[in-house]
Amino acid sequence: MSLPLTAPIALLAAMALVCFPVRKQVLLAAVLSLISLAAAAAMLLLAADGARTEVAGLTLHMTPLARLAGAALLGILAVLVADVWLDEPAYNFFPIALGVAAAVVAVLLLTDPLATYAVLLVALLLPVGSFTFQIHRNRSVDAAVRHFAFVALGGTIGLAALALAASLPRDQPQTTFVLLVVILYVAFALKLAVIPFHTHAALLARETPATALALYFGVLAPTTVIAFTEILTGSGLLPAIVQLGRVQQLLLGMGALSAVGGALLATGAPDPRRLVVYSVISGLGMALVGIGTFSGPGIVGGIAVALATGASAAQQLLAAGTLERRAAGGPVRAAAAPLAAAAFVAGGVGLIGAPPLVGFPGRFFVELIAYSFAEWLGVALVTATGLLLLAQLRMALSLFADGLPSWRPERRPVAGALGMLIFAALLAGGVAPDAFLRPIATFAEEFLRALRPL
Amino acid sequence: MALLAAVALTTLLANGATRLRGVALAFLAVSLAANAIALSLTTLPQIAVLVSAGLVATTILYVAARDGDYGEDPGWRLWAATLIAAIATPAAFTSFRTITGEAPDLPLLGADSGNVIVQVAAFWLLSSGTAILVTARTAVRTSLGALLMVTGVQLLIRLAPGPQLAFTIGVAWLEVFIALTGAFLIVNERAVRE
Repeated sequence: MSLPLTAPIALLAAMALVCFPVRKQVLLAAVLSLISLAAAAAMLLLAADGARTEVAGLTLHMTPLARLAGAALLGILAVLVADVWLDEPAYNFFPIALGVAAAVVAVLLLTDPLATYAVLLVALLLPVGSFTFQIHRNRSVDAAVRHFAFVALGGTIGLAALALAASLPRDQPQTTFVLLVVILYVAFALKLAVIPFHTHAALLARETPATALALYFGVLAPTTVIAFTEILTGSGLLPAIVQLGRVQQLLLGMGALSAVGGALLATGAPDPRRLVVYSVISGLGMALVGIGTFSGPGIVGGIAVALATGASAAQQLLAAGTLERRAAGGPVRAAAAPLAAAAFVAGGVGLIGAPPLVGFPGRFFVELIAYSFAEWLGVALVTATGLLLLAQLRMALSLFADGLPSWRPERRPVAGALGMLIFAALLAGGVAPDAFLRPIATFAEEFLRALRPL
Repeated sequence: MALLAAVALTTLLANGATRLRGVALAFLAVSLAANAIALSLTTLPQIAVLVSAGLVATTILYVAARDGDYGEDPGWRLWAATLIAAIATPAAFTSFRTITGEAPDLPLLGADSGNVIVQVAAFWLLSSGTAILVTARTAVRTSLGALLMVTGVQLLIRLAPGPQLAFTIGVAWLEVFIALTGAFLIVNERAVRE
């Protein structure tokens, strides 16, 4: 007997409610969270392809992409929960992580664009509870308010655009569809913090805990990219978009701006966290270029880049948090936590998309297809990758500027060990890329069918 | 048309309120007027869900205020937000209104057949909310802007095809969730200031 697809969502949501009152008993909350995440991941992995569940007129559908992304994102969440439990106790984190997990699984399984978007909005608002931390010593409340404003603005205008797209008859002037697509794109850009809507990201990077940042940039940013493609597929706007060259040029231009701009900002980043956040913004820009090409390799590459960027960003942010805590206000140096520093550098390799890690095929596809579209687009993306390489090298040199007194790992090397776990997963994906790329390719076929319906 | 005027006036009240409790009560009035405008498109269970969500959101903000004095003085932002909404609403309506050759019949009292008033109210709430959100300085007006926008979305979603009760429950949850997040930030912001 197979479980309904609502089971993992219900389990995670229920456990978020259970964890809330016991959140101050860190051990209990952490263990409950890890067991729930593992059980939900197992349910996703065991569900049959094409399985469907109806709830109140809404359909949940199991696809290969939902299984892959669900397992990967729940895995990253489990790593974050383990880090908070063992290294950086923050009791609000556990129920929030479970709530985010429930929303992420719902986003991946729901088929109706309006429902997917509404759940995504809830998922993006949930981390606000983990952003505020030691509020009298920093500006984390300001950062959380700004995040709330950006997400609420982007979320509601996007939802309004989707509701309009669903209610308007198809015989509208082209400008109506251009406007709707532009509004929808801006709505997602606001939520993803891509350039030029990135101003709150810098404040978040400075003021909020590293684990909360990892929740947003490591889990929710890739989820938002996947939701963007799924919503475009289901919205019925794609055939109108493909007839309008201007819209595609706008999507590609904005994506390239974010890819290059994020990489440029990363080269000047004054601390490890901002380096990671700007690198993620650059990676998301590249993912948007891939999706904006409306081609199979571009879509596969774009989603692959988003997922790999999320995993590497989580790895680097956990390591950066540990290095900053061990530095205790002084310069951040590898000597304080050699294994965390190694995990940070390894995460940088993943963010650049260097072979043999799983981020490589995605970047390769997007850069290749970008060249076939326009030379300037390909040059922009390769430049962005080059700038990211420079930025990561600069930070790595700064971390090891004083050398290492010994190569022995630090005491309680939690972030380092968890970082190496993520690195191993990215390496395994890079060694067998077919297992990672095939589920995304299945979705890309569905996207292309929606683009040119018979 | 009378209900459209009620939505506009209650939005202005919420926008001009300097105290959070005043904002909360004015938002309840906006929510009720918006639901009344779309009554012909709404079933009884939907109305129950939406009115409950409006009441819960109002209560959350009211309780978060803790006393009658806390709030944010909008100052010039009130006029900026009103002006932006007044310009953006007709622009949005002409851009997205279903193109038909017929002139809509707009009775002073009662619903119009073409849902013109529902769309105008939705665009008014969305543009007012956007202007308030963009000019907000604290979590008080940020929460108000977000709640007005989600109320506008509730109106537009009623015109969309699909499982309406599920959509209504989803957007009602969203409204409550936005109020909870806003209240959480308001309480934290106040703790920092004091």
